[in-house]
Amino acid sequence: MAKKQKIVITGIGPIASVGIGKDEFWKGILDKNVNIEEENCILDGEVWEKFRFHKVKNFDISRFGIDKQKLDDIRDWKEGEEIIDLNYLIAAVKLALDDSRLNYESDDNGIGLVLAHENLGLMPFGFKVSNLAYEMLIGRQKSDIPKKVFFEGLYRKFLKSGYDVQTFADLFHVARVFNVHNYSLFINNACASGLYALEAAGQILKNNQAKAVVVCASDYPDIYKYVWFKELGIYAHDGIIRPFSRDSNGLVFGDGGVGVVMETLESAQKRGADIYAEYLGAGFNLEGWKITVPQIGSNSYQEAIEQALLQSNIDKKKIDVVCPHGIGSGPIDYYEAKAITDIFGPNPKKPLISAFKPYVGHNLGGSALLETAILLLALKNNIVPATLNCKNIDPRFNVNLVKKNKNRKLKTVMKTCCAFAGFNAAAVFKKVEI
Amino acid sequence: MPEDLLANLEQDMKELIAKVSGRDVEELKPDAHFWEDLGIDSIKAIEITVAIEKKYKIRVKDEQIPEITTVAKAIEVVREALQNK
Repeated sequence: MAKKQKIVITGIGPIASVGIGKDEFWKGILDKNVNIEEENCILDGEVWEKFRFHKVKNFDISRFGIDKQKLDDIRDWKEGEEIIDLNYLIAAVKLALDDSRLNYESDDNGIGLVLAHENLGLMPFGFKVSNLAYEMLIGRQKSDIPKKVFFEGLYRKFLKSGYDVQTFADLFHVARVFNVHNYSLFINNACASGLYALEAAGQILKNNQAKAVVVCASDYPDIYKYVWFKELGIYAHDGIIRPFSRDSNGLVFGDGGVGVVMETLESAQKRGADIYAEYLGAGFNLEGWKITVPQIGSNSYQEAIEQALLQSNIDKKKIDVVCPHGIGSGPIDYYEAKAITDIFGPNPKKPLISAFKPYVGHNLGGSALLETAILLLALKNNIVPATLNCKNIDPRFNVNLVKKNKNRKLKTVMKTCCAFAGFNAAAVFKKVEI
Repeated sequence: MPEDLLANLEQDMKELIAKVSGRDVEELKPDAHFWEDLGIDSIKAIEITVAIEKKYKIRVKDEQIPEITTVAKAIEVVREALQNK
């Protein structure tokens, strides 16, 4: 019988409001270097909307040492536009690969790629469509423009942008920058994308479809997402996320992304790589009730967590830390707290529970992976960062949150996520003792 | 049959809401506001939606859930769904 492959993480490349690159990012977490700024969306000098979010500082794609010609090729395809969340993906892959010390310069590097994002390209597409429709209609009656002319005009103008909203093109762009020719995927399971992406990468490695896989997720807080979330009543008007709190009033977006390099333990040991953790396994459940509301009272999230423990072949008592989704919105926090306490008991002393969105904001499609990066650095450094803004925990939720950074010998940690559309997920990571 | 359900809708809905929320049926006046008058928060409102869908075998749309803020509104949502069945 073939020996079961162990999958490990050997590179982390985060880009977030607290810092860019693993060292600055972790220091930013420990120093609570939270950066929340106000974004104004101005149309013809008039403010459409303004909102606060966790914003990345001083990001410049040209400073990451990425092949300039390949970046220019992407810019040509995008007709001169800089697509910031695509740039986050590229930069995060670069940081993760550099951190792993894998060589990707040759075309036979054997590396695969899994990208995750929720709405890549939505904002530039939406703005272009809106601008053209405005230009074509302003000062005219609808009947002045034949429908055929209008439809053809839109098609000609937005052919490429329209295809760019489909994610294969950006998978192509990022893969090409890093000479990736092996099995690659683009994944969108809403906020849980990062955990689905890790599992997909694990399967790619176990099936020998690549010798290493870069998993990268990012998101950008654009105006369309903000308006949607505001209208759903889940965007914090004061720009502060308060997970599981009686004072919570919603989530706040966070800019950035993160790359994570995965490979087999055998491969990592052979090349003397630093190992952050072993990826033990994950569990998933698709609730399938509503897109934007969890089904209070269902057992879907509990099943995902139990499945993660089963796949990881680990007892729940061995889990040292759980990092929940923790978005700071009453019903979703309640749903999540119920699942966690059903599994681990009310107000558990172990595992410690700490939610990381107050540091980096809600990175949507990138959130689960970005917070996993914090968790992996916590595991490596034996420090559990506190949950910020959690003075007034809702007693109905029965969760204790870590209120001050804790030094604790950590062995096994879990990331959980309950996403839109009911994508519930949990993943388990274990320190590798050499 | 929807007709039978519609005939007793108001009373049945009050009983459903009372059961899920723990309030007395008598308190559930049509215009009573879930949160301000009855202390029924957004978590309970979702539980009420789950119970409504199960009892009447209808589908409440995502965007209707935040609108269910009074007893009358809850009844209106169910009536509309039953009539469109």
